[in-house]
Amino acid sequence: MDSLKEDLKKHIIEQLNLEDLTVSDIDDDALLFSADGIGLDSIDALELIVLMEKYYGIQVTNPDEGKVAFLSINTMADYIEKKRA
Amino acid sequence: MSVRITGIGIVSAIGLNVAENLFSLKNSKSGIGRIQYLDQNGDYLVGEVKSSNQELVSRVGVKSQPISRTSLLGLAAAREAWGENKHSSGLRTGIISATSVGGMDQTEHFYRDFLDHNNPDFQVLKCHDSGNTTERIAAELGISGYINTLSTACSSGANAIMLGARLIEQGRLDRVLVGGTDALTQFTLNGFRSLMIYDDQWCRPFDESRSGLNLGEGAAFLLMENDKSVDFSGNKTLCCLTGWANAADAYHQTASSPDGKGATMAIQNAIQVSGLSALDISYINAHGTGTKNNDLSESVALLNIFGDNCPDFSSTKPFTGHTLAAAGAIEAVFSVLAIQNGIIFPNLNYSEAITETGLVPITEFQSDQPVTSVLSNSFGFGGNNSSLVFSVNNS
Amino acid sequence: MYITAASTISHQPTFKNAGFSKLIEPLKTDSELISPNFKDYIDAGLLRRMSKILRMSVTAAKDCLQQAGVDQPGAIIVGTGLGCLQDTEKFLNNFLTIEGLLPPTSFIQSTHNTIAGQISLSIGNHGYNMTHTQNTLSFEHALIDAGLLLVEGNDNIIVGAADEYIEILGEIGEKLSANPAINLTSGASFFVVSKDQSGNSIAKIKDVVTVGLVQDINVSIENFLTNNTLEESEIDLVLYSDFVDSGLVSDVVKRFENSSEAINYTNLVGIYPSNSSFALHYAADRIQNNNKIKTVLIINGLNRINLGLTLIQSIEA
Repeated sequence: MDSLKEDLKKHIIEQLNLEDLTVSDIDDDALLFSADGIGLDSIDALELIVLMEKYYGIQVTNPDEGKVAFLSINTMADYIEKKRA
Repeated sequence: MSVRITGIGIVSAIGLNVAENLFSLKNSKSGIGRIQYLDQNGDYLVGEVKSSNQELVSRVGVKSQPISRTSLLGLAAAREAWGENKHSSGLRTGIISATSVGGMDQTEHFYRDFLDHNNPDFQVLKCHDSGNTTERIAAELGISGYINTLSTACSSGANAIMLGARLIEQGRLDRVLVGGTDALTQFTLNGFRSLMIYDDQWCRPFDESRSGLNLGEGAAFLLMENDKSVDFSGNKTLCCLTGWANAADAYHQTASSPDGKGATMAIQNAIQVSGLSALDISYINAHGTGTKNNDLSESVALLNIFGDNCPDFSSTKPFTGHTLAAAGAIEAVFSVLAIQNGIIFPNLNYSEAITETGLVPITEFQSDQPVTSVLSNSFGFGGNNSSLVFSVNNS
Repeated sequence: MYITAASTISHQPTFKNAGFSKLIEPLKTDSELISPNFKDYIDAGLLRRMSKILRMSVTAAKDCLQQAGVDQPGAIIVGTGLGCLQDTEKFLNNFLTIEGLLPPTSFIQSTHNTIAGQISLSIGNHGYNMTHTQNTLSFEHALIDAGLLLVEGNDNIIVGAADEYIEILGEIGEKLSANPAINLTSGASFFVVSKDQSGNSIAKIKDVVTVGLVQDINVSIENFLTNNTLEESEIDLVLYSDFVDSGLVSDVVKRFENSSEAINYTNLVGIYPSNSSFALHYAADRIQNNNKIKTVLIINGLNRINLGLTLIQSIEA
């Protein structure tokens, strides 16, 4: 699970051009879409949907489902685990 | 403010000229269907102009190649709007077109060949840039001097009309052909798919179940003239453009603000320029793309302006598809037709009001209506919002 | 129309460098864009997605606002010949090569009005927002629009132009026979223009015209001078660009030879469709640094079929 989270952070930094961040800057429970957290927006949400398909083979067909799944690294990792199970 | 409109021309999914478009509108005949002409895999619903490039070339009679589909569509519409008008050295004539894709319909084929090392034809890139699209149209019509192109995504066509009116108002031009043109491309189709706002079913503007847009293609132009020009041409005034405004939403790169700020400002300012009051608007041709976001934001803006007295409104995009930079011009021609004929167009594919706003569009074709002023909205990416007001000619 | 601030990012040391016009030499063939630290001007959250043309434009626009001491401009007007090429090519590449879902960012940022849109978004501006794209005359058209707005009562308008170089342009240029001796470059020049003269005024834009599908450059220039009641001998400096190596405009410029200094600005800044915006900044900079230069004429003949004419005067003139 930890390596999944690490992986996920790397992919997110690359996919979203978060040039100023490193893996260690992103806490597992930091809110990705909050200004106090990572500060992502709805364009990033679409990029995350692409990322889920590209790296994990998971299709998020309903953007609303993404909203819940993409709260934090923790929720994303859980979502991936569940979809894989 | 008041600028005369004396000519109109249009090519869209519902017809190759004004008469054909009017017939389709009166008979609730949509032009959206499965892909026939675009080189694209997949079973998408699109509003294609029912003519191949070859057919368009012979229709408009251009000889020199390469030429983009965007130019061909534009030229067909511009020719119709220009009609039998004559050139005169005493009149300053200009043209302002709008396009978002320019010659991308050619470029995307070039680029595929380029990537595949399959002998790409670099010559087609001469018609890539948006300005060239307009220069080609101008050259065919014999217009030189003020030749300009605007590109503000989905509000471009409305902005071209607005700019033309301002140039006439300030005496920089005596007459100007204004409009917009965009061909359907793989680029835009895949682009809107990537935004997850492309509906695989028929687009359903202002409906609770709406889930995206269907792209279309086409072009429309209007001829605007000042008094000096009308004295020369003897043209009859179809109606007048009386109000216009553009405002930035400054909320998000693609999404409209939930409070409809930019849209509200554009509508309010356009009505103010026209010297009318909100109560004078007989019909609103809405932007109404069918995306969750646009239709809600636009509805909120309509409530902001009109409160409980929202005039009859509809989106005509279920007829034509969303034609991007041409949309504002195509819907301007529909607005002129509404005033000329006293008609209001139905919002096809509607069944249930948006929960948050409850606004109900016109769903059946209406004739014998006293249509004196029409508001036409065009809102685009980057929060670019424009509104126009068309009114009966009182002079 | 008065220029109250000017800012250029280019292959020359133009940014935050008043008086650059005295210092710069003709461009070397291996020149590169001289980028300021964009982070000083653009929020990191917005910057991470921005292509070169967006970074240059937002930075130059914000620099202008700082110089002019203006928080909110009355309008934002941008000219661009080819628009956001980097993102356009990226999205072309994506949809032609990726099977499956496509990342949307490059599509969103491929539209021409991303430049003006990002400027409005980065400063929260709700005013008139326009993008002109008429080949080599895009900037002149943006200026004309600004002039209309000033008459309509708008003020403190941001007007500018930008174009970006991407690698494929070099190959396309060779195939379509552009002049290989002059660099294809990137650049952005932005200005704040206002209706009335103030302490901040740098120079006055007296007139701008565009002649699309131009028939006779000489006649157009004569008409332009007549309309502005000027003799050729009253022009102190002529800045011009010429289509490839046609020599069409340089022949025309000879008529000013006796009285005026003439400079081909393409040699200074390289070729991009809206490089006449650099010429305007160069003109204003020369006027500010040499009180003998009172009247400058820009002849934009970068494209054979298009002619742009801009007349700039010193504040005293």
